[in-house]
Amino acid sequence: MSELKRADRRHFLKSAMSAGAALAVPYFVPGRVLGKNGAVPPSEQIVMGAIGIGGRGTYVLGCFMEQNDVRFVANCDVREERRRGVKNRLAEKYGACEAYRDFRDLLARADIDAVLITTGSNWHTMLAITAAKAGKDMYCEKPCSKNITESIALADTMRRTARVFQGGMQRRSLPQFTFAAELAQQGKLGKLETVYAHPDGLTTKTSSWPQAEPEPPKEQVDWDMFLGTAAWRPYNSHLLSAEFEKGGGMMGGGCLEWGSHCIDLCQWAAKMDDTAPVEYFPIENGQATARYANGLKLVVRNDGWLPLGSCPVRYEGTTGWVETGDSGKLELSSPELLAGKKITEIANYPATFHVRNFLDCVKSRGLTRVNAQVACQSHIVCHAVNIAIFLNRKLSYDPVKNEFIGDDEANRLRGEALRDPWRF
Amino acid sequence: MKKFHLLACLALVAAMTTSASAAKRAPQPGVTLKTSTADQHKLIELLRSNAAPAAKALACKQLALVGDAEAVPALAPLLGSSELAAWSRIALEVIPDTAADDALRGAMGQLQGRLLVGVINSLGVRRDTKAVDSLIARLKDPDADVASAAAVALGHIGTAPSIQALQTAVAAGPKQVRSAAAEGCILCAEAALAQHDAAQAIKLYDLVRGSDLPKTRIVEATRGAILARGSEGIPLLLEQLHSADKASYNLGLRVARELPGREVTDAVAAELPKAAGQRRGMLVMALADRGEARVLPIVLQAAGNGDEEVQILAIRALKRVGDASCAAALLDVVASGSEEVSKAALDVVGGLQGNGVDEQVVKRLAAAPDSSRATLLQLTGRRHIASALPLLWKAADDKNEAVRLAATTALGETADSAELPKLIARLVAAKSETEAASIQRAVAAVCLRTTDRETCTQRVAAALSSAKTSAEKDRILDILATVGGSKALEAVARAAKSSDAELCDSAYRVLGKWNTIDAAPVLLELHKATTVEKYKSRAIRAYIRMARQFTTIPEPQRAEMCRTAMAIAQHDEDKRLILEVCLRYPSNEMLALATEAMKVPGLKDEANVVVLSIARGKVGDATELRKALAQAGHNPVKLEIVKALFGAGANTKDVTTTLRRHAKNYRVIFLPSDNYNEAFGGDPAPGEVKKLTINYRVNGKSGEVSLSENATVVLPLPR
Repeated sequence: MSELKRADRRHFLKSAMSAGAALAVPYFVPGRVLGKNGAVPPSEQIVMGAIGIGGRGTYVLGCFMEQNDVRFVANCDVREERRRGVKNRLAEKYGACEAYRDFRDLLARADIDAVLITTGSNWHTMLAITAAKAGKDMYCEKPCSKNITESIALADTMRRTARVFQGGMQRRSLPQFTFAAELAQQGKLGKLETVYAHPDGLTTKTSSWPQAEPEPPKEQVDWDMFLGTAAWRPYNSHLLSAEFEKGGGMMGGGCLEWGSHCIDLCQWAAKMDDTAPVEYFPIENGQATARYANGLKLVVRNDGWLPLGSCPVRYEGTTGWVETGDSGKLELSSPELLAGKKITEIANYPATFHVRNFLDCVKSRGLTRVNAQVACQSHIVCHAVNIAIFLNRKLSYDPVKNEFIGDDEANRLRGEALRDPWRF
Repeated sequence: MKKFHLLACLALVAAMTTSASAAKRAPQPGVTLKTSTADQHKLIELLRSNAAPAAKALACKQLALVGDAEAVPALAPLLGSSELAAWSRIALEVIPDTAADDALRGAMGQLQGRLLVGVINSLGVRRDTKAVDSLIARLKDPDADVASAAAVALGHIGTAPSIQALQTAVAAGPKQVRSAAAEGCILCAEAALAQHDAAQAIKLYDLVRGSDLPKTRIVEATRGAILARGSEGIPLLLEQLHSADKASYNLGLRVARELPGREVTDAVAAELPKAAGQRRGMLVMALADRGEARVLPIVLQAAGNGDEEVQILAIRALKRVGDASCAAALLDVVASGSEEVSKAALDVVGGLQGNGVDEQVVKRLAAAPDSSRATLLQLTGRRHIASALPLLWKAADDKNEAVRLAATTALGETADSAELPKLIARLVAAKSETEAASIQRAVAAVCLRTTDRETCTQRVAAALSSAKTSAEKDRILDILATVGGSKALEAVARAAKSSDAELCDSAYRVLGKWNTIDAAPVLLELHKATTVEKYKSRAIRAYIRMARQFTTIPEPQRAEMCRTAMAIAQHDEDKRLILEVCLRYPSNEMLALATEAMKVPGLKDEANVVVLSIARGKVGDATELRKALAQAGHNPVKLEIVKALFGAGANTKDVTTTLRRHAKNYRVIFLPSDNYNEAFGGDPAPGEVKKLTINYRVNGKSGEVSLSENATVVLPLPR
């Protein structure tokens, strides 16, 4: 990546970081633009389509449907059963909903402003990029990319198309994680020395070739569309619900699945949203580590949760530390770090606030908390950690050129050819 | 005993087991590749053999890591295979040798359709300049997908001939290829800009935005055209901001944040007076996002007056960019704005950083009229302004209750432990229940904020001896329960042993909701010591509650607590609560405890369900399930389901087949859902009370059972 482009990226991210620092109050549309009884006039509604609504998608879709300035008019799924079920759910609330098997037909609709993408992660980047090129904004579940190349393509496309992108790392919208990040960002912990992410699993694998089963009719399960950008393999019904291509047919495991949350939180706390560590070390004593150019250490642990709930993070500085997790609770080296504040405890990592932030930005055209650049960098770190674990050796990385230094094998793992006809 | 609760849990356990089993059956998501130790020659040999596609696919993956020019001749033939082409390209795209380019280029002439598109895409990724002529020729391919792929690939490669060809295609190419050609042009423009060739970039962007293309391409090119021009792009930016077209206007709002330069800020700011309503608010937000200190006065002005909607958006923007210099203006808004605007401003001042803000708040509070005192007191509390304490104490005695309440809350957020006795003393003097509750919350807040919590709770506990009414004692004990800690617990335990019946009652009440596990031994001790039946029962129930509700205690400790409770509990009702804990936290220890409980006549039914549930939860462990069923009195039998009907009145459905599918060799049948409607594929009689009637044979003997809706399916032994 050229220096000029890099500078452009930095400028762009400056706004994102300022938005991130003000998490307590997102952009919002004042109540007075609402109609009577909270009803939103059609001209103020964001018209949406839902793509690939499965388990997680069902929950996130619910968060969107709670918002009274959203109206879903279409859904899409390669599986007929899900397609029909989601269509019925949306039609019940919004009166009518068109169901599609091919997302390109949904994206071709001029009346749709934005899409919710909660397919299997194999599809996330390609869907987001295609949606952006079709002029749609999007909330896209994580992991947002399968490899480093996809991460960069995602950020470049969102910038180029000026679309609003929100990655599904909703913990950036929760108070305990916000407070902890602000302590680190504002120097309340002294000079930040180590940030800890706990992704609960660091296994890396590559894709498999399952046992062939008779392929159902396309209308029932569109296997070709299910595979998407992934290299072809025969139909196998279990892959429909198993963790397919979590690592993009190349790498995978917990580091990406949960690291896209907790490594992302560390990047945020360390004010590293526009860069990535420069050195990566394989697993030793149950933890992988990385080092940023300023000496800050990132520890990615593989030894289970701390007692503060899932997805915990810990930030250690020269004068103090803070630790938090999905319980909503905070542990601090000193209660004085609270400075009298009472942090609202919200457990179980709800996505409602994150969804609201997205919708507000669709209206204001501001940058979301997990905009594409933020998501790109966090995912690059996850992928680089994975590659170091996979190759089981120390790697040096140039976060400007986005290249591993002096390691051909590692560089080959930065991306993977897409199956025809897909391209970025 | 809440049997329905137990049964619901049982069904949940069963459901979890089902999903865990399903996950187990699914194929592993991946395999581990060998890295540099892989033998390239063996992989090449495999690709040339009659090996199965699966093996060849994996070989391609490994060659993506270790392959070189030598592997290319073995990979190239796979480019024509619909199954293995993408696998082959996974390797070819990353092999750092021109042999890979040669192979991909060579394949272009032999392929068509999707496979050809794939190869063209790979050439684009590899930026193969030698492919340019062939790709230019493909721009006229009758297959629009192929021509479009060629256009984007040329955009990635970006040589002079590529750019020339793309420009021609944008202006005069087939309509279905123009959009891809425009995409190629935009890629070339970005590359030019990266090489500091803004003139070339502008030329390409302008070409695209002036062509007959989909709106999305025009928007992308317009963005590029503005940014490439720098400050000279301002007129084009303003054109977007003035546009009635939503896409163009939205683009303007985004680029108004992106385009750097003071003159850009000035130009956008100059638009404010011309914009109206929400558009004005959106401009204010965009200006604030530019992150320049000099936009503050502009945003402040918008926050201060005018359209209320714009005011609120501007105030919210100040939350992100405001500093101490905004305090005075925002305090004015707090005092004079509408309720909605004032609330927004209050929220922002509450978090403003910087020197002098606190002083301004205190100054305003000292001179505040009645109408705004409560609001300013609230603000003082939020900012924890210690210098305002004299004013807060004074306001706590105000004749206006709203002011008194706001002052008390602020004291809770501001006072330190030294002020605690004074605050506690007010509990006695409270003029109303509302005020007393407010003081109680304030005392607890002070204790919770302090670094020396134990000293604080000692002070609160000391007040217990001087409290006169039961209401006062209640409040003090509630404070101790909220704050917690060893001193608080000691004080409450002492109260529980008191001869004062009211105090004793209150102490047991707060122990029943204690928030930390350190109360468990205290409760055991109280249970042992007291001779009063009702306190014995409350102590054991509070103890069991801890085992049930504290999710973080280690499982051996929880099991030990249940065992202890089971040993000392005197009533079956209490023992059933323990069984519920066993069900909620299944383990071998809990299974053993429930099995023992089956021997107690009054607990047999519930213990039975718990044993079965726990055994069922041991995924895939048939031996364990059989053992548990046997322990529960269910030995294997020869079971036949003759007929099963589910429904009400005439609206029944035959569920024989479903039930047979789930029936094993026991008289207990686990359905996949605790809801019969779900388990049997629908509700046969919506809104009616339904029954499940089963005719069956056990070891040849016929039986019939009629079960209430959603009950666990247990078949009685026929006589």
